[in-house]
Amino acid sequence: MRLPREDLFWRIEPLLGSVERPSRYLNHEWGAIEEQDGPFHACVMYPDIYDVGVPNLGLAILYDELNRLKGVSCERAYLPWVDMCSLMRENSIPLLSLETSSPVASFDLVGISLAHELVCTNVIEALDLAGITLLAEERDEDEPIVIAGGPSAWNAEPLAPIFDAILLGDGERAVSRIALTVRDARTEGVPRTEVLRRLSGLEGVYVPSLYEVVIDETSTRWGYAVPKTGSDAPAIIRKHCIAHLKETEPVAQRIVPYLSVVQDRLTVEILRGCARGCRFCQAGMTYRPVRERPADQVLEAVERGLQTSGYDECCLSSLSTTDHSQCAGMLHELHENLSGKGIRVSIPSQRLDSFGVDMASAARSSRKAGLTFAPEAGSQRLRDVINKNVTDENMDSAARNAFSNGYRRMKLYFMMGLHTETDDDLRGIARMAERVVGIGREMLGPKSKVTVALSASVFVPKCHTPFQWEGQLPLEETHRRQRVMLEAATDRAVRISYHDAETSLVEGALSKMGRKGFDLVLAAWRHGCRFDAWTDQFDFESWRQAATDIGLDLEDIACERFDLDARLPWDHTSPGVSKGYLQREWRRALEGMTTEDCTMGSCTGCGVCPTLHVSNDLAGERA
Amino acid sequence: MSTLSPGACRLRVRYAKDGRLAHLGHLEVMGTIMRSVRRAGLPFEVSEGFARRMRIQFSQALPVGASSVAEYYDLLLPEPIDAAQALEELRASTPSALAPTAAKLLPRRMPALEAWANRATWDVEIACTTDEAQAFPSELARTRERGYLDFMRGDKPRHLELGPTLVSCEVLSSACGLRLALDTRTTEQGSLRPAVLVQAVMGRPPVRVCRLGQWHEAEDGNLLDPMA
Repeated sequence: MRLPREDLFWRIEPLLGSVERPSRYLNHEWGAIEEQDGPFHACVMYPDIYDVGVPNLGLAILYDELNRLKGVSCERAYLPWVDMCSLMRENSIPLLSLETSSPVASFDLVGISLAHELVCTNVIEALDLAGITLLAEERDEDEPIVIAGGPSAWNAEPLAPIFDAILLGDGERAVSRIALTVRDARTEGVPRTEVLRRLSGLEGVYVPSLYEVVIDETSTRWGYAVPKTGSDAPAIIRKHCIAHLKETEPVAQRIVPYLSVVQDRLTVEILRGCARGCRFCQAGMTYRPVRERPADQVLEAVERGLQTSGYDECCLSSLSTTDHSQCAGMLHELHENLSGKGIRVSIPSQRLDSFGVDMASAARSSRKAGLTFAPEAGSQRLRDVINKNVTDENMDSAARNAFSNGYRRMKLYFMMGLHTETDDDLRGIARMAERVVGIGREMLGPKSKVTVALSASVFVPKCHTPFQWEGQLPLEETHRRQRVMLEAATDRAVRISYHDAETSLVEGALSKMGRKGFDLVLAAWRHGCRFDAWTDQFDFESWRQAATDIGLDLEDIACERFDLDARLPWDHTSPGVSKGYLQREWRRALEGMTTEDCTMGSCTGCGVCPTLHVSNDLAGERA
Repeated sequence: MSTLSPGACRLRVRYAKDGRLAHLGHLEVMGTIMRSVRRAGLPFEVSEGFARRMRIQFSQALPVGASSVAEYYDLLLPEPIDAAQALEELRASTPSALAPTAAKLLPRRMPALEAWANRATWDVEIACTTDEAQAFPSELARTRERGYLDFMRGDKPRHLELGPTLVSCEVLSSACGLRLALDTRTTEQGSLRPAVLVQAVMGRPPVRVCRLGQWHEAEDGNLLDPMA
């Protein structure tokens, strides 16, 4: 039901004294756009709490772009934490936007960010709290058009029945086209079905209601989606891709929250896409090609962003920051410009093979809390299987560079459960961490308090990757391998943590399922599941019970291997990387053959450039 | 110990905490003001050590939900600046509900603001029936006679002597019930939060709490204005 647009802050204000961190619900932060005159009103929503959603750069980009459109206003909404959700339900208060405290159900367009699979139940929770009809096909004519996008939209089938449309690929410009299409269609007074038909004609826009799921001998048990008879929707929806990152606004993040949020800093995206070709990495496949923002634009953006926000930390963000052809120079210049101002520059996890002496030295302006590297596997053999083209020598060299520049702590990310993994590979993880500790002690002395924090996640096969056909480890085997790794580490300077196997299993199941996955998500939500990415909220038994309710078994779903030639539930969507390339990479993985990075070598034939009519856009020469 | 530059001084700023931002916690207010200072482009000293941070001191924490017209911070400066111009720049860079209302340059070497400003006055509004309003003075007197409050802050039990911390409490009538004009003192043992007192007397918190002023109580009992 479409609710009237009205300011309902007065209804939640009396509740603020009874909830944790009331500042989540206050709005009017520095940089928030308070003039929301419309007349077309959009609302972008992150289906988790404010603290997690505010730093999301994707949402900030959409908010910024939509508010620049004439006649379009855009607000934000986040899912209230469980205490506030309960109070709002008790008091019959619907989910509200932040800027004007208007019901989310009063907007013309609602866009939901899908950051990962475990937000599925939160999406249902948010729509239910908002009072928006859950199933897209049952929505009233005047209800909001509900769209989705984000990294996890690549297999959005488990949530497909909820969304009127799903944007695949880059949000810049595409979100404006969507908003204007909806606005114009609404102005003309055309029926909802016609609005959706027009949306399906836009590049990168998938309208699930125009497709039906077919299960046959060519498919997995989850089937594949084809356009409905009579629909002129495309058989394959290719992602929307901007050709040049430098043509986008580098300081999209303008809102400065009052409360301390995760990643409480200015973020400047210096690079989009990664062609390293790690075979497990969905982002590496779906964000291609590589597009660099030139150093001068980054430096100007950092200066401007810090001045207008007041942040004391700036993050140069990307999938692989140290791969930027001008990274060392940028870091050096920022270090020079910002020294003495109490401002830190941080970079996300660094590649071992591109973290040189100059990089270590330039990154010193960041807090010397530690550096993060992601070797991913404990042996060269397995790193070749996953195409993580780094060596033990790279690790040792990066460690030496870091320790010689005053770092004492290091964090290493690994995955367990990778294809062909043996117990010796797992012991290799501990050995590598202990070797790094040894290097630190050798360089800084035996009492230097060097520590390595080792974090091991459970491998979850993701769609549109060369490992998409792979099955996940059964629970018991995951637990056994975790023990193998734990027992292999004897040095107390190595601190080991690992991801929860049960949470990963749910993530794995949702990553494999097609539209049938919606039944599972809905059943889980009805069992009380929400905030599944929160350790203290995740309830595996409820998920297991939900699966049982609909005649499924989570382990059976997550651990299933797909035939290499089978039609997959996400085959109707394409990030530009061809299925043939993924199959080739899968075969090369089995043979332990690596594939080079096309930004540093020759074309590897992934298909992105010819399919999307784009190419790598580098600001300089990569080493 | 670091050496001070010859021109080192402090900029004392008085600001309000109003409207919905009354729901900000003290750390959130501190973070917001530090970012406002950076946005204003003012010079400031940076601490030495592991995490280099802006050197700034705040007056005592205001409880979440309480508003104020008299909060203070001292920004430590490497050299003097024009206080009036700094005030304008801070006004332009600070959310209006935390707007600075006065600024003044002071010597660098002074006691820390949080410990120095040890007296405060409060305006407290309580929603209650006529009967409750009539009973309040005697309930308050009984509480004061007992001489202490035992209460929980979060999940920790606290004990506070009322004699040294509650200077005076004037009970006034108001449209919604009662108003209290409270005068409190911070001691080494702690400080009295108006909501804690009202909770102890009435069994429920007040509807509105506003800090009206903060002072330093000199040894002779005189109250010194932070901006004087």
